[in-house]
Amino acid sequence: MSNYFNTLPLREQLNQLGVCEFMDNAEFLDGVNVLKGKKLVIVGCGAQGLNQGLNLRDSGLNVSYALRKEAIEGKRDSWKNATENSFTVGTYEELIPDADVVINLTPDKQHTSVVNAVMPLMKQGSTLLYSHGFNIVEEGMQIRKDITVIMVAPKCPGSEVRAEYVRGFGVPTLIAVHPENDPEGKGLAQAKAYCVGTGGHRAGVLRSSFVAEVKSDLMGEQTILCGLLQTGSILSFDKMVEKGIDPAYASKLVQYGVEVVTEALKHGGVSGMMDRLSNPAKIKAYEVSEELKNIMRPLFQKHQDDIMSGEFSRVMMEDWANGDKNLLTWRAATGETAFEKTPAGNMKIAEQEYFDNALLLVAFVRAGVELAFETMVEAGIKPESAYYESLHETPLIANTIARKKLFEMNRVISDTAEYGCYLFDHACKPLLADFMTRVETDLIGKNFNEGKDNGVDNVTLITVNEALRSHQVEIVGARLRKAMTAMKSIKTA
Amino acid sequence: MSEPFVHISNLEVRYRHQTVLKGLEWKINYGDNWLICGDSGSGKTSLGKAIAGLAPFSGKIEIGFNPLSPLPPLVYYIANWYQFKDLEGQSNFYYQQRYNTWSVEVTATIQAELERFGAEHGLSFSDVEDILKKLGYSELKDSTLIQLSSGEHKKLQLIKAIWLAPQLLVLDQPYNGLDKNSRQNLNILLDQLAAEGTQLVLIGNDAELPACITRYAEIVGGRLREVSEYERLQDYTTVIAEELPEFLNAHPVHDHPGDIISMRNVNISYGEKQVLKDINWQVKAGEKWLLQGHNGSGKSTLLSLICGDHPQAYANDYSLFGQKRGTGESIWEIKAKIGLISPELHWYFDRSATVWQTVASGFYDSSGLFCDPGSLKHQKTGELLAYLGLTAYGNTLMNELPLGKQRLALLGRTIIKNPELLILDEPCQGLDIQQTRHFNELVDRLCGNNGTTLIYVGHFESQLPDCIEKKIILENGKVKAVEEIKKTEHYVTRSE
Repeated sequence: MSNYFNTLPLREQLNQLGVCEFMDNAEFLDGVNVLKGKKLVIVGCGAQGLNQGLNLRDSGLNVSYALRKEAIEGKRDSWKNATENSFTVGTYEELIPDADVVINLTPDKQHTSVVNAVMPLMKQGSTLLYSHGFNIVEEGMQIRKDITVIMVAPKCPGSEVRAEYVRGFGVPTLIAVHPENDPEGKGLAQAKAYCVGTGGHRAGVLRSSFVAEVKSDLMGEQTILCGLLQTGSILSFDKMVEKGIDPAYASKLVQYGVEVVTEALKHGGVSGMMDRLSNPAKIKAYEVSEELKNIMRPLFQKHQDDIMSGEFSRVMMEDWANGDKNLLTWRAATGETAFEKTPAGNMKIAEQEYFDNALLLVAFVRAGVELAFETMVEAGIKPESAYYESLHETPLIANTIARKKLFEMNRVISDTAEYGCYLFDHACKPLLADFMTRVETDLIGKNFNEGKDNGVDNVTLITVNEALRSHQVEIVGARLRKAMTAMKSIKTA
Repeated sequence: MSEPFVHISNLEVRYRHQTVLKGLEWKINYGDNWLICGDSGSGKTSLGKAIAGLAPFSGKIEIGFNPLSPLPPLVYYIANWYQFKDLEGQSNFYYQQRYNTWSVEVTATIQAELERFGAEHGLSFSDVEDILKKLGYSELKDSTLIQLSSGEHKKLQLIKAIWLAPQLLVLDQPYNGLDKNSRQNLNILLDQLAAEGTQLVLIGNDAELPACITRYAEIVGGRLREVSEYERLQDYTTVIAEELPEFLNAHPVHDHPGDIISMRNVNISYGEKQVLKDINWQVKAGEKWLLQGHNGSGKSTLLSLICGDHPQAYANDYSLFGQKRGTGESIWEIKAKIGLISPELHWYFDRSATVWQTVASGFYDSSGLFCDPGSLKHQKTGELLAYLGLTAYGNTLMNELPLGKQRLALLGRTIIKNPELLILDEPCQGLDIQQTRHFNELVDRLCGNNGTTLIYVGHFESQLPDCIEKKIILENGKVKAVEEIKKTEHYVTRSE
């Protein structure tokens, strides 16, 4: 198998990277009808598998689970999840031959072996559904030509996919059809129906391609979403402790701070987040984040280049072949950081204090979001796709840090994201070493406004506001957020 | 001791942007136990929280704890509302989640929760066993918090407080969601507690109180006024004059053959624990049912099957609105025919929605409103708000309102689409006497002049609508009895 993207001529690479259309509600009026009465068989019953299945069944579709024999005989968690919620469970041999749609919701790493096992069993003219394009694009998996290959990717953890559905809403979703495998031209209609079955159509659907999804998803998760949040959290915490701030306070300020700060981002974009600061603090945060953007830009570009060329996948797959040696080493090391090991204190931190006392976090988030977005767009990814994979997902990941710090973040995200996150973190810390020596507690740990008179220069403020508001991520974001109304608010601890 | 135990002078409490209490004076003498009553929104909860130091106030609250008493010198407040968190500190659950089965439990067990509480306050675990027994809680120790019914949650709060035995205990609406037996046992426990030195302030409008309560007051216009026991029990006699909004007078659409509900040997279990056993139940169109049973008898699980909220529905044999469950219908098609209210729904409802949005969300069966409902629905929402006396609160966020008003808005949400089946699970919990009456009259009107089918769950026999004609009683997950309620026996049934 060779990297699918690299086999394409440039013209076709650009063509597939450029598939990006925010779909109108009217596209979903046919509901789940296209899939009604069809047999949907989900492979894998983890968080995504179970929750998507619960939604599809509650939308009137016929859902069952195919698990490996060992998982069934060993009554593993996946088997328990499925049977105790009254789903039919069977082996690949029992369920796949009758399936109209086979849904692969196993981890990336297992895709090749799972698809190799199920493909010979799949009936003529059936459909294979992914919720991530890695296997097709990066590993170049070839699917039998009579089989339709589609993707439906809810942009949220599995538990949210369920929670939003039962409250009558859904989560934003990407859908795609693989151009090499749409023999009957039914792929898009099926992807739309599946999306309705999970509730995604109520929250905004972006039509994408396997290529665009993978190249933007990898970039987002490695840089702003996981990499930068990890680096920024650890550096901020260490700085506070170094400067004599109570470690319990520092731990709490960072753990919940990333969530509170990015909550503002979710509702009002980068400018909404920056507007939570006083005028002098905003100007300072702008200056700091400009500096951070300059320092980190080459690293963001390297990540994007390695993703586009397939170098990232190649290196990661080497680690797969090596028993995940790098991944496991890094995971253990993260568990040992002082930030991870210092419990958050019991002190009450008011919502506004998370902004005023953590200007550096705000600057990190702005720099990361804008850099990731800019780098993706420069590489040929459409702004809407870039928005989803940068700004949109940042609060969702920050939410996992608020739960149980970086351990939880790295547990919830995929191994692929975790691997990319460590690559970024290891390269980013040395880059920022010199910058960090100049950071004092007014930027992190204490109220920036303390002892200042709140005065600013008119022209400076106008220039900063203008720069923030006219950034492309803000313009695209304002339009997309309007379509994704009613986002749930996160409570502050 | 000439000073009173609690001395409150010139108390002012603001809630959000409104002054709730102003110039309030109150003395609680040593040994006195009080009841505080008053309309929803009068400031009962604000007063309770201020005394416990949980709400900011101006003025003076002096408490003379007895240094010689063996009881802990503190005020403990039991909220009417209970927000629990999972093991990761998350509190954003959705109410259907308690019916799911997961390989990993995300909320603590009762045992763990009690151990945590005991350790925090230095209590001996042997002391709690007796309380658990009296409130019928011993068997629940291994359950997780999310599996508890609303009544069981309430009891857990009470158990903790009684175990703690503080010098002053403030109980805000302690009887909410408790069945008759539990209410009686609670009163016995509270009397014991008072005899051992804990002083009680009980907030609520309930009729059956522990004997130790001998002083009564109501809050009117932000101040406290002592009333006699006789005055307290005086009925409010407000008659609703307004006509039901026109759109609620129409017959609900009934477009299917067959019964509303038809269950054949329905069983639900979690692992070893069976919560419903061989349930058989037919509900025909237009029937008005009362569903009763002790806390934890399986009532809410049974209702969750009807509302499309239970994943094990697909392994059972029953039909809703003439269609066998799991034959291609979506839960949204089912929910479209049902108006539901329950304590759990209220618990997990999106409280950042406005009252207007909350009521209008009933058209879509969603928690919060996600789209513009259009002009016809706008108009209906406006009419119903006016009928419920909520017009002034249209743009107020749910979490800025007292519980009684929140509940009233959710009741509006329940009936706005004039559904074929109304499921009212303790609908009046948290409402004052007047609102309860108002609401039951509304239910009678809704059910009286059209073909609405009703399933009503209520513990307080004195607070039921008149139209009820049949009743089904659950006990330990089984149907204990199905009975007709003849009109002549109605009164007897209500007072049991």
